[in-house]
Amino acid sequence: MADTYRIEPDINFIKEVRTLGGQDLKKCFQCATCSVACPISPENKPFPRKEMIAASWGLKDKLIGNADIWLCHNCGDCTAICPRGAKPGDVLAAIRSYAITEYATPKALAKAVNDPKKLPVLLAIPAIIFLVLGFVLKAFGIHWLNFNPGGDMIVHANFFSSWLVDLTMIPTFLGAIAIFALGLKRFLNDIHRNAVSEGKTDKKKIDSIGFLQALIRIIPAILKHNKFNECTENRDRATAHMMVFFGFIGLFIVTNIFFIALYVFQQHGPYSQLNPVKWLANAAGVSLVIGSFLMIKNRLSKTDQGVRYADWYLIGLALALGLSGMLTEMTRLGGLAGISYALYFIHLILVWCLFAYTPFTKLAHLIYRTVAMTYMEYAERK
Amino acid sequence: MTDEKTAPVNGSILVVGGGISGLTTTLEAAEVGYEVFLIEKNPYLGGRVAQLNQYFPKLCPPTCGLEINFRRIKDNPRIKTFTLAEVGKVSGTPGHYDVTINLNPRYINEKCTCCGDCAKACQMEISNDFNFGIDKHKGAYLPFEMAFPARYVISPQIIGTEDAKRCLSACKYDAVDLDMKAKTIHLSVGAIVWATGWEPYDATKIDNLGFGRYPNIVTNMMLERLAAPNGPTKGKILRPSDEKEPKSIAFVQCAGSRDENHLPYCSYICCMASLKQTTYIRERYPDAEIYVFYIDLRAPGYRYERFYKKIKEDQKVHFVKGKVAEVSEDSDSKNITVVAENAVTGEKIRQTVELVVLATGMQPTAAQAKPSPDLKYTQDGFMINDFERGGMFAAGCANKPADVVSSNQNATGMALKAIQTLVRK
Repeated sequence: MADTYRIEPDINFIKEVRTLGGQDLKKCFQCATCSVACPISPENKPFPRKEMIAASWGLKDKLIGNADIWLCHNCGDCTAICPRGAKPGDVLAAIRSYAITEYATPKALAKAVNDPKKLPVLLAIPAIIFLVLGFVLKAFGIHWLNFNPGGDMIVHANFFSSWLVDLTMIPTFLGAIAIFALGLKRFLNDIHRNAVSEGKTDKKKIDSIGFLQALIRIIPAILKHNKFNECTENRDRATAHMMVFFGFIGLFIVTNIFFIALYVFQQHGPYSQLNPVKWLANAAGVSLVIGSFLMIKNRLSKTDQGVRYADWYLIGLALALGLSGMLTEMTRLGGLAGISYALYFIHLILVWCLFAYTPFTKLAHLIYRTVAMTYMEYAERK
Repeated sequence: MTDEKTAPVNGSILVVGGGISGLTTTLEAAEVGYEVFLIEKNPYLGGRVAQLNQYFPKLCPPTCGLEINFRRIKDNPRIKTFTLAEVGKVSGTPGHYDVTINLNPRYINEKCTCCGDCAKACQMEISNDFNFGIDKHKGAYLPFEMAFPARYVISPQIIGTEDAKRCLSACKYDAVDLDMKAKTIHLSVGAIVWATGWEPYDATKIDNLGFGRYPNIVTNMMLERLAAPNGPTKGKILRPSDEKEPKSIAFVQCAGSRDENHLPYCSYICCMASLKQTTYIRERYPDAEIYVFYIDLRAPGYRYERFYKKIKEDQKVHFVKGKVAEVSEDSDSKNITVVAENAVTGEKIRQTVELVVLATGMQPTAAQAKPSPDLKYTQDGFMINDFERGGMFAAGCANKPADVVSSNQNATGMALKAIQTLVRK
């Protein structure tokens, strides 16, 4: 701040942030109420006042690589008290959307994910992959996609083979991780440079051991949703988020157990309802569905906070994943073979979308926010 | 002014509100020969100005200006003043209005000599609204020393009690009249000037600034009373919790003003009022540290700008660009910690002080009770002048937030507008 800073406003960035949900950005008159209202803003260089002026001036480089936009949990305390109705919470959410696109490659996919008109195409991609693979394999006598599984029992693997699931899902999952890895390298460099230039840290460079230790230190706080609970305006969100969060974690654990059981112990599904792994799977599924419903309810009841397509996409995906999964299981138990197989197919489409599009959607906050919070811990910022 | 026989004029003017704007319109119109009815809902004239310790930027007491105005009113036979009076119904058109005025009983007649025996005899004490409830006065009281009309008032709260009888028997001049009843009178006037003024914004509504929760957070108007020689502390600025002389004071600017959750507009006077009030503190406590937290400091015009510059040179007055958004109280010392982000340095500031002054803004009186259906208002309750239609005009702070100088200029202009309505009818 002390040195002269040549301002190079990026007009398109301002326009973009305004269309991504920060339309009231220019109402801000820099009173700094928001920085005080925020329960989780640090003492030194608090947010979001400085982000509001940087966004207003189109200073993209001060925002995209700024860890502070990720420290915000969008609780809305600042928006509620803002004397101008500039909605700093919404503006930061918009900047985060922009940043996700910025760090993700390929850009075209990132743009498509944020465009509601492209949704049918995005959903069609996995369906086509499954069908094409299934038919091509069939031509070689491999029946991994069998539209007439028959049998006395409904076994989803007889319709859509576990081999085919893993053949499509695992590379997609690894691909998403690779895209994240590419983005993260740049992201980490940027947030460190930004922190050094704005005097937010004394650390000269990032040492990996120290950074990993910081990560371990913050994990309990993330699991317990400590930051959410500091919020006053919108505390209900913590419960909903926790349910969805642990729902996903539970299902991820269950999937891994299935994977190991299948390939190591040759143990096929479906599991008995008495199996503890099944208990976890059912609990996680229910938690995901209820959590998503609560999120929708919270979003609809908060009229002063904007809801964007990016928000609905993620909530919709979580709800659809949970519902399609639970219904697949219920129809299987109810003996509705055709419906159950169809639901399973839809469920797999959604799972693929979850893996493939995560680096481009709001769900990427899972990674960026964790890294930003780790960096804050590492940088000893209070 | 001109007292010789001028051309006879028809019709008279009603001025609603006896604050500085109403007084000015009344005098300007009456002194060019028009009959003026001045009505005021309080038992005294002078309005908000009467409550001030000093004017900015000259730092002179408002009493001298008011005294001259009261003298002019007293000497002018064309002015009829009604205190404890409120407008009932208004009907008619420009040039011909019929107005009902509701007069509330004062229970003290014109024989009062202000000896004060009734107040001595009265035992019950009631909250002193003139001092914003900082202290109490008796059920029979003189609103303040300079009150005009110079006459005691008996509060309706003691009517029917033993206290009322005590007042009656204590009065040697037969001035107490407990049988006085509310009355309605009718006036026919050609023009009406609404000078209904303003109320300090209710600071208890500003949840995050702690007023009403913590005793050592006061409003700027309360500080005027604390600094005024005729105030509850006789001009000593003492903090409410322990009547201690504060060694550090924080001013919180835009407390409720320029805020869509409260008053969306700038109240115009609060910056200058706080700058002025820093001089009250510097004069009494030269060692006190003063902090002024602001969004932008607005000192419009050359004279105010110069005043601001002078205060800025003072080493004891610290200006912090950043609005206070959080306050807390230390339960032992009763000191207040205010929190703001210094937007220049980007640091969060937690400043602990012994007294906090909220620079609360002005809300038009009409925002609470709209007097006439024929008037147009802004969303915030300020009256919009319709000069084409004429007949009724808003003057001073009923029209927009303004300082005393602008209110007087505006009120003079509205006197002329009212006169034009009469001449053109």
